[in-house]
Amino acid sequence: MSDARVERILGAVACIVLALIAGMVVFVFEKAWPSFAHNGLAWFGGGGDVDLQLEDIFNSPANPSDYVYTLHAWPLLWGTFVVTAGAVLIGIVFSLLAAIFIVEFAPARINRVLEPVVRLLAAVPSVVYGLIGILLIVPFVGNHLISVERQESVANVVQLDGACLGVGVLILTVMIVPIMIAIVVDALRAVPGGWTEGAAALGVNRWRVIWTISVRTARPAIVAAAVLATARALGEAIMLSMVAGSASFAPNPIDGLTFLFEPTRPLASALVENVEGLSVVPFGETLFAFAAILLVSSMFLSLAGFAAKQPMRKYGVQP
Amino acid sequence: MSRNRPLAIAAAAALATLLIAAPAAAATITMSGSTSVAPLATKLAKAFVKLPKYRGKVKFVILQGGSDIGITDVSRGRVTLGMSSRDPKPADPGGIVFNKFARDAVCVVTHRSNPIATLSQSQIQDIFSGRIRSWSQVPGASASGPIDLVVRTAASGTQDAFQNIFMGQTLRVAGSATTKASNGLQAQTIKSDPNAIGYASFHFTKGLHDVPYQGVPCTLRNAKSGQYAGTRNFFLVSRGAAAGIAKQFIAFARSNPTAKRIVASNWVPLR
Repeated sequence: MSDARVERILGAVACIVLALIAGMVVFVFEKAWPSFAHNGLAWFGGGGDVDLQLEDIFNSPANPSDYVYTLHAWPLLWGTFVVTAGAVLIGIVFSLLAAIFIVEFAPARINRVLEPVVRLLAAVPSVVYGLIGILLIVPFVGNHLISVERQESVANVVQLDGACLGVGVLILTVMIVPIMIAIVVDALRAVPGGWTEGAAALGVNRWRVIWTISVRTARPAIVAAAVLATARALGEAIMLSMVAGSASFAPNPIDGLTFLFEPTRPLASALVENVEGLSVVPFGETLFAFAAILLVSSMFLSLAGFAAKQPMRKYGVQP
Repeated sequence: MSRNRPLAIAAAAALATLLIAAPAAAATITMSGSTSVAPLATKLAKAFVKLPKYRGKVKFVILQGGSDIGITDVSRGRVTLGMSSRDPKPADPGGIVFNKFARDAVCVVTHRSNPIATLSQSQIQDIFSGRIRSWSQVPGASASGPIDLVVRTAASGTQDAFQNIFMGQTLRVAGSATTKASNGLQAQTIKSDPNAIGYASFHFTKGLHDVPYQGVPCTLRNAKSGQYAGTRNFFLVSRGAAAGIAKQFIAFARSNPTAKRIVASNWVPLR
């Protein structure tokens, strides 16, 4: 095949992908529009109970002009944010330390086991984590870690049955850390040997070389790892729906330790749990509104990742 | 070439099945919908194709997905019959007919360590609407501490049945309740939480304590005799009045003695 033809074919394929993405965005927003239009900015606010609102939407009357759309989705948005941010922040610390160990300290024979295991863990389907969570961790937390006094102290607002924010964040962290480790390890390996050797020759100790040369150089890769992990965490639905409580409640940080035991439900979980009702027109449009929010946040995520990498480009190692 | 081999085999296999199926020229009934109805519908379909009159002349394709999926599919003409475990709703698409063909018991369930002797309708309403939030306020409960409500999402047929049978039109399940997306998840949650209470189709209550309702235990026998009040309807939904082979299948499911025996094995036949 001639070069020119190859170029045209590849160009066409790339254009199809772009057209698909554009088409998807238009489709989702067109479907989601009535939900946003009826609620205005109150869609993003709090007030009332999301589960009851969803039920009202589901039981709308038949006449299209009487459709119920009222929804205040703040608990879902806040739940998505807290779970994702919690898992990614803990994940960054863990994966950075683990990657430094693998690249700088671990003997070769440990690495021969460690690295394949990390890559294998990155590929475990999320529903497996969900099953482990619901069969082992949730009952343990519910029956042993949450005292009856703690349950009774908030019983009028929310029930603490073990499925909670803390378990969700914990399992989500376990899920995303392997991907982050794999990316950061590759970046640390790509740091030019001359830079670290130069620093070492100047008498800098090993930890400082790692911290000021290797990790600094690998920053764009760390950002890339965080962006990828956030994207996976945002879209995680099944596992969180199983272990994070499935109650539309916005956990309140002022509650102290109880905060970790409060249930929550991120957007993606709310979407997958209610997908059965897609056929009821206003309910379906509400679900598409959830999808639209997820779509927009992942777009902004990519942009934010790109922007964060800009100042680091000069000395950075691109992943 | 070697990379394409699985594809080639699959294509050949598909072609082969087409050829085998084609000469039979069987009428096909496609169904989709409620996961609660599907096990019963599958058994009935197996019995139907064994009838001498229909042997080799009809075949079934049964898909699951939830009552609402079945109702939408049939209203758009994607399937012959939709399976629904909930009653018709005002917002359902027009032009479809709900054909009742069996009934099913919905039990209130608790953890095995909390064998409550009986609950009245008003007690169930108080518990699920959140007016009573502690087991100490429920006579006969051996659990202590707060009550954990475990219910189903709005789109579930079982949730709809529970609302209609136990809660009535005005009361609602408390917003603090944990909502689960499937029967299995709900049962698992109740199994691992001694303080939990929920509800489930009779089919899914293994390993849980069935709470007698108004003093009547939630058993198949009581549901059949009509003593147990917590029953709901199973429907086969057709687009317009059912016709042809679909009509014959619905008639079979409703009144054929073999079909009645199948229904009675785990569900409640129509009276």
